[in-house]
Amino acid sequence: MEPTRSSGAGSGNSGTYTPEIAESLRFEEEIQSLMRENTVHPSLEPPPATGGSSFTALLGLPANQAVELLHDPDSGDSPAASGGCEMWRFRLRDPKVMTLPSGCSPTFPSNASLVERAARFSIFAAEDSPEAASVPSHTHSSDHSPKPKAEPPDSDSQPICPIPGERPQRPAKRKEAEKGIKVKGPAKKGRSAEEGSAKVAEDNTGGDKLPYVHVRARRGQATDSHSLAERARRGKINARMKLLQELVPGCSKISGTALVLDEIINHVQSLQRQVELLSMRLAAVNPRIDFSGVDSFLSAECGRVAVGNGRGGVGMEQSAWMEAPAVNGGRRQQQQLQQQQIWHVDSVHPHQMPSVWERDDPSHLFNPGSSLLGYEPANSASLHINQLKTEL
Amino acid sequence: MEKQDSNRSLSFIDTPTAANAGFLERGRRIKMAAEMGLVESSRGRHWSRALRSRLLRRKGNGACGCKEEGLAPCKVAEDLVGEDGDDEVIEIERRVRALQKLVPGGEDLAMDQLFEETADYIEALQGQVNVMRALAGLLDGLEKEKRLMGG
Repeated sequence: MEPTRSSGAGSGNSGTYTPEIAESLRFEEEIQSLMRENTVHPSLEPPPATGGSSFTALLGLPANQAVELLHDPDSGDSPAASGGCEMWRFRLRDPKVMTLPSGCSPTFPSNASLVERAARFSIFAAEDSPEAASVPSHTHSSDHSPKPKAEPPDSDSQPICPIPGERPQRPAKRKEAEKGIKVKGPAKKGRSAEEGSAKVAEDNTGGDKLPYVHVRARRGQATDSHSLAERARRGKINARMKLLQELVPGCSKISGTALVLDEIINHVQSLQRQVELLSMRLAAVNPRIDFSGVDSFLSAECGRVAVGNGRGGVGMEQSAWMEAPAVNGGRRQQQQLQQQQIWHVDSVHPHQMPSVWERDDPSHLFNPGSSLLGYEPANSASLHINQLKTEL
Repeated sequence: MEKQDSNRSLSFIDTPTAANAGFLERGRRIKMAAEMGLVESSRGRHWSRALRSRLLRRKGNGACGCKEEGLAPCKVAEDLVGEDGDDEVIEIERRVRALQKLVPGGEDLAMDQLFEETADYIEALQGQVNVMRALAGLLDGLEKEKRLMGG
């Protein structure tokens, strides 16, 4: 599975981007020198590191310079006719580009920090394929889209500022976004035709939903609507997988989709079984209510239901299944020897990890265990009542 | 997919005798109540609706008014690992199908939504388990007290 990084992760990856940041700074100097000649050239393209188009180049520009470019109509009319310049031209000529909503300053923060931040937020930068080469371009291109990625972690709202930069890519991902929140700009297709760097960035993936997903085609990949849509979907799926990993204890260390899914499946199964066992336990707890005249066998049954501690002999094959609570001592008195034998039988079942969840009846691993007895009886009863109330 | 009922999961009660039949039935009803509790706790969710309709179906209620969603296409795993080798895709797909069976209503869902539902389902299950455990502990305590008091 491709390593993904949600926008909220920010897990100190910025360190790895230092070489790329340095490179991007170098690249910016190049751009500046080129700009001084006031000729917009395909040579504006970034160094062979990205080998990209001028689209990428524009994105790679430091923010103020890019805005400068946008402001300057003259330089916009004579870009070279490389495929990538198409977009560039479009952007320069489009007057709408200039209207930034009020309150949004066109001057972005310092470049290096932006790049760093965006690189951290960009999950794409960690993905495979022309990675080394495209990472710089990603960090470049992320210059222009720091806001949508950086801001949603802060607030799930308006990446309004980068409209000029974002509009071209918007349509592809918007198709994808089920929860497409902000309609940023016109959905223009053709420009992203050939272009270079694209990445999938997750917005606010730590939360319950993804507002929208930026999708950009990677260098060398097709940028037609289908693949972009697919890529967006994959990004969403990866984000959700991350969320699941966080939910399941001990899952974040595991790498590899299949193993992670294994863990998730185990966890769900264990929880379902806990529900069953607890319901059986509850069935035995208060026999007076429903049962009349069955007290005799109920005392025997109590042992059956009594979820024993480890003494019950049920092997805990998967430690991941169980939290490790304190054992409720009160239960032991209800342990019947016969019961222990029964539990033993169940635990003897071979532990077939990979196939256990393939059957329709994955019930061979019997896993009651001490985790069900996490509570002191009387003392915390009132506390639990309150918990019950709040939970319900 | 019918969730395996308690008989199959708790193998030691596979053969209900006269002695424990009443107890089993009570256990099953409690489990159903627990699942309804699950449903009620997360009403808007797809898995919640699916579980609810399954429960109502079991109770014998025909008209639950639930809407059947179209089946998701079969190639579930390709979304995730479309670029990887076939082996991996197969492996992952097997697991995804297993997950689909576990999560109520999961078979209708494509991968991304399936994961989302799974996350919510896990949370709800965990909450339910906590509640039931607390309840069982409480009742145990009360029973013990009662016994101590000479009940």
